Amino acid sequence: MFDSDEVIEELLQCRRCGLCREAVYAEEGFNGICPVWRNTSGFETAYMRGKIMVALALLENRLDKTADNVRPLFECTLCGNCTQICPAEFQPNKIIEQVRALLSDAPNDVRDSLAAKVAAEDNPYGETASAKTKWLEELDFDVPERADTIYFVGCTSALRTTDVAKDTAWVLHHAGIEFAVMRNEPCCGSVLLRTGKREEAVKNAERVAERIAATGANRIVVSCAGCYKTLKEDFAEMGVDLPPVLHVSQLLAGEAGEDLTRSAVEESVTVTYHDPCHLGRETGVYEEPRQIVSSLPGVTLVEMETNRAQAMCCGAGGGLRSFDSDLAKRIARDRIREARETGAEMVVTACPFCEHNLSEGARLEGDAIDVVDIVSLVARRLK
Amino acid sequence: MKAQIVNDLVGIVGDEFVSTQPAVLLAYSHSASVGYEGAMPDVVVRPANAEEVAEILRLANRHKIPVTPRSGGTSLQGEVIPRHGGIVIDLLRLKEMTLYEELRSVRVGAGVTFGQLDKFLLGHDLWVPVYPESSLACTVAGNVVVNGAGPGSTKYGSIAEMVLGLEVVLPTGEIIQTGSEANPNAPGPYLRYSFGPDITGLFIGSLGMFGVVTAVSLKTFKRMKYFDYNTYGFDEYEQAERFIIETKHNEINVIFASIYEGQILEFFMDMLGEEYGIPETDWSPYTVSAILGHVREDILQSDARLAREICERLGGSVLNVPELPRGEWDRRLWTFARASYAHGWHWRTLYHHHTPSSWHRVIEKIWEGLDEFGILGHTAGFATGHSSFNFYPHLYFDPADPEEKEKVKKMHSWLAREVFERGAVPFKIAPFWFKDVPEMDEYLRFVKRLKEELDPNNILNPHILRGEE
Repeated sequence: MFDSDEVIEELLQCRRCGLCREAVYAEEGFNGICPVWRNTSGFETAYMRGKIMVALALLENRLDKTADNVRPLFECTLCGNCTQICPAEFQPNKIIEQVRALLSDAPNDVRDSLAAKVAAEDNPYGETASAKTKWLEELDFDVPERADTIYFVGCTSALRTTDVAKDTAWVLHHAGIEFAVMRNEPCCGSVLLRTGKREEAVKNAERVAERIAATGANRIVVSCAGCYKTLKEDFAEMGVDLPPVLHVSQLLAGEAGEDLTRSAVEESVTVTYHDPCHLGRETGVYEEPRQIVSSLPGVTLVEMETNRAQAMCCGAGGGLRSFDSDLAKRIARDRIREARETGAEMVVTACPFCEHNLSEGARLEGDAIDVVDIVSLVARRLK
Repeated sequence: MKAQIVNDLVGIVGDEFVSTQPAVLLAYSHSASVGYEGAMPDVVVRPANAEEVAEILRLANRHKIPVTPRSGGTSLQGEVIPRHGGIVIDLLRLKEMTLYEELRSVRVGAGVTFGQLDKFLLGHDLWVPVYPESSLACTVAGNVVVNGAGPGSTKYGSIAEMVLGLEVVLPTGEIIQTGSEANPNAPGPYLRYSFGPDITGLFIGSLGMFGVVTAVSLKTFKRMKYFDYNTYGFDEYEQAERFIIETKHNEINVIFASIYEGQILEFFMDMLGEEYGIPETDWSPYTVSAILGHVREDILQSDARLAREICERLGGSVLNVPELPRGEWDRRLWTFARASYAHGWHWRTLYHHHTPSSWHRVIEKIWEGLDEFGILGHTAGFATGHSSFNFYPHLYFDPADPEEKEKVKKMHSWLAREVFERGAVPFKIAPFWFKDVPEMDEYLRFVKRLKEELDPNNILNPHILRGEE
């Protein structure tokens, strides 16, 4: 568990300059910073400077730990755009995650419910654990339970955006990569970490590591940016060892992908790529997805005004999608509008959670723009 | 605050834009002024336009409630810290921007930041060439009411010199327009000094105590394309000071020039030299970092030649380290915020103006204070406008050490008095400049008369003329 005094010391690194609100810095690619500030009433507590003040007051017991008072801390996607612009020497989004952990007993029904669901059924959606493998029944080939490569599907692909799971499996299969899928795959625990349930996340991580070890895999492939960041970075930080972790876009950007994309059907389409926060800002995977998109015949890639490290968030992360789904969708609508400004007909991303929320944002906007995961884009061209 | 007043505010701006949540009030109890104590307001409102601001002020007048207008919340000297029990008016929703290309002017709402304005004008190959160091969060209107300065000010002066007119909601709720736009038939902002006295100037540097500025009209200029970045080293401070004066006398288009002492430069280099790509340099005891700019290349080249000649004639040497001024200018929207916050301390500052030839006297006094009060700090400064020099001493403290914070507060007060006695002036109304300064009594009485006339119930930033922080 984090030390309260150390967290307070970090929070005091904030000098309240306010750059984390709406910095527009054309030369550096910033066109706004905080998606929550932009899509709410816009009070100070909506963006990081105010959240840090609230966090300090809560930790120093100057503010009661009521649901209303802790709300600003959970009204944050932890997207990290504020960290990109912050001139001080700290990472505000990471500190807020730690503050959430220190306030894990403060009232938040949504967080508690998510943690209970993960503990009970290995997923935060309230579905049965067995439902996570139903998508496998729709494949026209068998997927073993043991192999050198394990495809860690993730709860969202397994239960909400099953096309991502199926298309990932299909693409891996057609690339000649032998892979396995666990029939008892736990949640990676990202949602536990982001919402402050750290002790539960550590226990969950140990369970994940044990089950992966049982598959005999020496490599983990994921299609979810959240799983990728969690398994690759957070597990190491929690002291839980795993085999090397790759995002499927990294795999497809290599030799295996080159053979595949060469045989893809040509179809003219203009697409824009949305950087998932966990894949981009958090783990630095920017170019591989773009390389795949650009290599598909007939595909023209155009960039949104904010992209790569300055990309605006889709709105789903940090537990916000569960905590305030309306706000999450409004943020997604904002991103869809930005995508539309490029003239693109399709938004491609590399995270089922982003895809899911951006699709909701498009619905809210009444925009029929196609939102697809990168593996689905590849699979469509090959099938 | 009575529930009925909050309900009335909801009636003006809508439920979504009124908050009495304790967490929200706490967040508005402070600003970027980390060295100042906060104060909790009773309510925060976010109006959409000047008319709503006017209604809020009329309501506040009826109930005699103190009001603190606020936009970016980036000010560093306690300017927008509210009064206990008061109303905070957050102006960030006022985002209009209108370009008058033929009039060489632009009008922006009180919620527009310098970064937003710069991007807007970039699309037209224009700029307003004065950039405060907090440009990415600071609003133009907020900067006008503190009369800020920054990169670009060496040539163009403080932001006041850019202003062509203001839309102001008076404390009693009337909306007035100054400058040429006071004539509703005018094609837009083209002349500040219209209809007699400079009413616009009354509100500049006023900290918003005479009225709430809801829109600012500014001069725009063609964006410069040609720049010369250089550093000029001198062994004696008189040479560095004279260099600044000579470049002015010779109409050299220096858009930003700072004088750094060797030890201060070393401090910056240790901190950020590598990040900025500045090579290891044997800095002179006094270094001028200067950016020359022009829309015409031939004039720029001529200016750059002459600047070098002046430097050498004064006994200095051209250091040819362009990375420092280039970093200052090219990344002007962020660089200074980075330099102010990278080191980890919290600080108080005492922005003020003096003259280039008094640079050494101010610096000596600041060092003397730092020694006497036993605190860390530094100062540097830049030439501003016709013949002034802007100083921004930073007095550091550890936020977890109340004793140190108190020492900084004391030195701040001492320094204001000391530099005042040596002829310095602030560029805005500020409580600490009036405290214990009998020489300013008449002036202060006059300002108070104006305040009483405009704000009979003293609702708008009521503390300022009482000398309270």
